[in-house]
Amino acid sequence: MTPDLRIWKDVQRGQAFEIEVDGLPVVAYEGETVAAALMAAGIRTTNRTAGGDEPRGICCGIGLCYGCTMVIDGVPNTRTCQTLAQPGMRLETQKGLQRWEVAD
Amino acid sequence: MGGGRLKNPELIIIGAGPAGIAAAVEAARAGVTVKILDENPKPGGRIYGQLNDGFKLLNPGFLSPDYEKGKVLLAEFNTIRAKIDYLQDSLVFAIFENRIMAFHQAGKGQRLAFNKLVLATGAYDRPVPFPGWTLPGVLTAGGAQTLVKMQRVLPGKNILFAGTGPLQLVVANQVLDGGGKVEAILEAGEINNWLKLLKGFSRNWGLLTDGLQYMRSIRKAGVPLLRRHMILEARGDRQVEEAVIAEVDKDWRAIDKTRRILKVDTICLGYGLVPSVELTRLVGCQHRYAPDLGGWIPTRNEDMETSVPGVFAVGDGAGVAGSAMAMLEGRIAGISTAQSLGYISSEESRKRKKPYLNDMKKLGRLRDALDRISYPRPGLFELAHDDTIICRCEELTLGDIKSAIDNGTIEMNALKRMTRMGMGRCQGRMCAPAVQEIIARQTQTPAAEIEYLNQRPPTKLVAIDVLESLPGEFEIRHGW
Repeated sequence: MTPDLRIWKDVQRGQAFEIEVDGLPVVAYEGETVAAALMAAGIRTTNRTAGGDEPRGICCGIGLCYGCTMVIDGVPNTRTCQTLAQPGMRLETQKGLQRWEVAD
Repeated sequence: MGGGRLKNPELIIIGAGPAGIAAAVEAARAGVTVKILDENPKPGGRIYGQLNDGFKLLNPGFLSPDYEKGKVLLAEFNTIRAKIDYLQDSLVFAIFENRIMAFHQAGKGQRLAFNKLVLATGAYDRPVPFPGWTLPGVLTAGGAQTLVKMQRVLPGKNILFAGTGPLQLVVANQVLDGGGKVEAILEAGEINNWLKLLKGFSRNWGLLTDGLQYMRSIRKAGVPLLRRHMILEARGDRQVEEAVIAEVDKDWRAIDKTRRILKVDTICLGYGLVPSVELTRLVGCQHRYAPDLGGWIPTRNEDMETSVPGVFAVGDGAGVAGSAMAMLEGRIAGISTAQSLGYISSEESRKRKKPYLNDMKKLGRLRDALDRISYPRPGLFELAHDDTIICRCEELTLGDIKSAIDNGTIEMNALKRMTRMGMGRCQGRMCAPAVQEIIARQTQTPAAEIEYLNQRPPTKLVAIDVLESLPGEFEIRHGW
């Protein structure tokens, strides 16, 4: 199996697909949260803070600390631990609270 | 989505962990029309949660012992599921005046009037600020468990566990079982004490024999289990690279000459749980400070009813006591609502409650004993330095908070207005428990006398188009 942090024991994963993180491809599997796919790939910094420009990442893992937020398909402040990975999803490391880019 | 389409449910339950499910089962069995709003995609909550679609479970071994207990309750739930309207992925973010709440599901805001309400909102890992705790690679033990158990991903390569009590042993075990590497487990308290205790109780209660098994396999894996040790600092450039640890005294204060450094890339913190009281606060329940139950909890009568008539609170969200207790409390609340709605007589209600009340009594004794041993000691709240971030969202340091206090802002809600502490995306969940202790220390006031943060909607981030899609008008409660 791929040398990532996934555990293959006792479960069978679904379909593999790619998501895009800051322009680079990352593998995810059906049923995985974005956070899990990132952690598996060793990607830990999901955003940098507005004030101190400090790196932050997954902390509580249950959707309440907002440490793991990223810009997902253009929507900032999206919790990666509460968002299922979808084929073709585009993620960006968030900077501060970031602007919501609204189409047209 | 399942469940019947019930127009006006008589009982609304928020949360579908052991407490919420048990309440639903008892109420529905008596004939009450029940609607459950669950933030998660499947019933079970954190502890009995089921794997997402896409995963196929081949062997449930790594999920035990919770899995088996959860299976029994979920099976009971399934037998009566047709009578329960279960809404998944539904986040209640506001409760307004006149018993109206707002929630959203699939990006659409909805309003819902309630009569009887059971809040079963659960708990989360106690946030403990110390230098470096905001670095990527520092996770809560619960967060690490969710990754390992529900997503089958290891939280890192070289993992340090630091905290107190049995949860971190459980998670460390799940990491080892998954082929991960645990560098060490630090227990701030005295392991021997609670081991003795577990032995004493496990004869009657299968509950904690599991704990002993975990200890054995941890030992077998050669993982050092260091009692009276704590983490003092996480260091690293862009993520965790090392941890400073030390032996601590009985008040959990570091013994300086015992400091040393461990090379790790991941730190999992398990210092117990804090009840999620956002909704009991929003609905206006009276709360009391009970550090042995995790902090602020709603006051309740023996029916699990809060100070707001018809509003019940059950499970860890009403005082951290574990899943077995949560289930029993849920059952009591479910029966109570059935009685108050006239479905069963008070005599029948008493009869149905009796076995559960007996079990609660037995569990209570175990809890009391455990609390005395893993109750946080003062040193836990003295780890932060002046430049340590306390409020992660607004990036406020201990120094910022202390200087505001020194300038006379000694109430938490005033502190919030003054500094923006607790105003960010997490709405104070990650800082308020610590700030309460900081104020207590700076002003030499008992923590119990420090008023907690007021809760205002939304309790979690809500997109503006969700708010726009909410039908009707809402009346804001006094005191907001």
